Amino acid sequence: MAEATKSPLESVVGKSDEELFSFVPYDAAAAESIGYSNYSYWRSVFQNFMKKRVTVVLACVFLFLFIFTFIALAIGKYDVNNLTTNSAAAFTKPNGEYWFGTDNLGRDYWCQVWYASRISIELAALVACGEAIIGVIVGLLWGYVHALDGILTELYNLINNVPTIIYMTLIALIVGQGFWIMAISMIAIGWLTMARNVRNLVIMYRDREYNLASRCLGTPLVRILSKNIFPYLISVIVLRLALSIPNTIALESTLSYLGLGLDVNTPSLGILLRNARNYFLAYPYLLIFPAAIVSIISITFYLVGNAFSDASDPRNHV
Amino acid sequence: MAMLKYTINRLVRGVITVLVIATIVFILMRMLPTDYFFTEEQLMKFTDEQKEAALDEAGLLDPLGVQLIRFYGNLFTGDFGTSRRIQNGQSVVKVIGSKFAISMRLGMIALLISLVLGVLLGIIQTAFKDRFLDYLGTVYTILVNAMPSLVTYSLILVFGSRILGLPAVYSARTNTIASCVMPVACLTLASIAGYALWTRRYMVDELNKDYIRLAKVKGLSQGQIMWKHVLRNAFVPLAQYLPASFLLTISGSLLAERFFSVPGMGPLLTDAISKYDLDVVQTLVIFYAALGILGVFLGDVLMMLIDPRISLTKKGGGR
Repeated sequence: MAEATKSPLESVVGKSDEELFSFVPYDAAAAESIGYSNYSYWRSVFQNFMKKRVTVVLACVFLFLFIFTFIALAIGKYDVNNLTTNSAAAFTKPNGEYWFGTDNLGRDYWCQVWYASRISIELAALVACGEAIIGVIVGLLWGYVHALDGILTELYNLINNVPTIIYMTLIALIVGQGFWIMAISMIAIGWLTMARNVRNLVIMYRDREYNLASRCLGTPLVRILSKNIFPYLISVIVLRLALSIPNTIALESTLSYLGLGLDVNTPSLGILLRNARNYFLAYPYLLIFPAAIVSIISITFYLVGNAFSDASDPRNHV
Repeated sequence: MAMLKYTINRLVRGVITVLVIATIVFILMRMLPTDYFFTEEQLMKFTDEQKEAALDEAGLLDPLGVQLIRFYGNLFTGDFGTSRRIQNGQSVVKVIGSKFAISMRLGMIALLISLVLGVLLGIIQTAFKDRFLDYLGTVYTILVNAMPSLVTYSLILVFGSRILGLPAVYSARTNTIASCVMPVACLTLASIAGYALWTRRYMVDELNKDYIRLAKVKGLSQGQIMWKHVLRNAFVPLAQYLPASFLLTISGSLLAERFFSVPGMGPLLTDAISKYDLDVVQTLVIFYAALGILGVFLGDVLMMLIDPRISLTKKGGGR
């Protein structure tokens, strides 16, 4: 009888369960302290990013140029919205009055070039944000929800198989030309690539054991997507964003050059180069100023984006 | 036998895709305001009745369904229609026929040059990995990728015509070869960077594999390893895109051809849309879509032919 009440452990060790074990009361603070480490995702990203001197310098260059596009318009002697044509001053070489010279109609080139750079950056940033938001949300759902996969894949194939130039031409002819129209139409086509990329990655992570466990425990869909899967995607999303900015700048300039982009009266990179096409052989400064500024912006952003993408990959941390 | 079935399956699906794309474009084009149907002069002179009559004669006032059926009816009898304003009254096939050879010649030359130089640059970069030549190549790739192509084209134009004295505008009659140099240079510049980037990427991946270490242990020279093992394996994923690239040289390059006034296929599509030349648009879209799909299919086949481990018809061993 006495043997039966003894637990198997007691008969071996010679001490009763009460002596060996005691109940631990639930303590919220103690529960939190377990598993705590000093790791913070964004701080690690920042630290990794700051380690490379070159990229930090490039980031500073980019920021400086971006801020300077605003300053340059303020300190310039002419207002970009009130430019008057003055054929007597046409093709003036850069001097104290016209810092970047004048174009074929005698208009100040300084304010046009900086205004164009600002337009390019703003458009690219807007398109990149729009693409990222729509692309990531649709991509997450596309990859994770089985029922949506078929429909979205077909939609993707349909939209993606018609040449982009057809959409852009039709939008320019039907809706009109302008900054917002262009931004929206670029987002409307650009999100597809982002969504496709995100979807392929989601499929890789969707059925990992930790997600299966999470699903069994009843974690809601939104939380699985945002907390379990999304962190893995950040580096790829950042990389796509970094590529999207130079791409948008290039597409804008191409379309504006072809007369399908921004309004002819808005100075933008494409319009400036289109106007200068016939003259810049004789007056190279018409090409060099806008080309140099926009190229520096594109290149620095591209490199900074790549470095940031490396830094944001958690596998490179610690 | 399995291959034949697979081919037929792929081709049937391709034809369906092309037809769906043609239908979408057909509907999109009918959303264009009919004002684009007329030249500016006609738009000013014509009364509303005259406009109505002209549109009615062209069959553009019929319900969309009727127009669509008529379009497919013509398509299946091999009638691609006639051009209205690009080349007045010419059949579309002739319009395209007169242009595609120019685009294709420029494209083919550019493709061959960039393939050879690009792969070569990739090989050099891999062989001198993390040394000066590799960095130089990377700088080139980044510059070309990040700079807007309009800017690089302009720089080539200035350099070419001011320093080398090349003609800035393409001409078919005089000095054809010299006037081709700059368009070809523009086309190759970006694709050399692309080929170099991917060749380097795939070759570096291949170099890190275990069998390469075995080859080194066995005593193969660096050159033999690079040539016999690394390059051949790294070329497989590149080869997949070759047929599509070759076929799509026909479609020309929109920006480069417009920039140097080459009378090729590149600007034809946008011109046709803005001139409401519906038959031309429709034919071009069908043509490009078919080329694109065929290119992807041939790419898969080519990849299978050069790498016996890849099979299109067998199901993989995994899940």
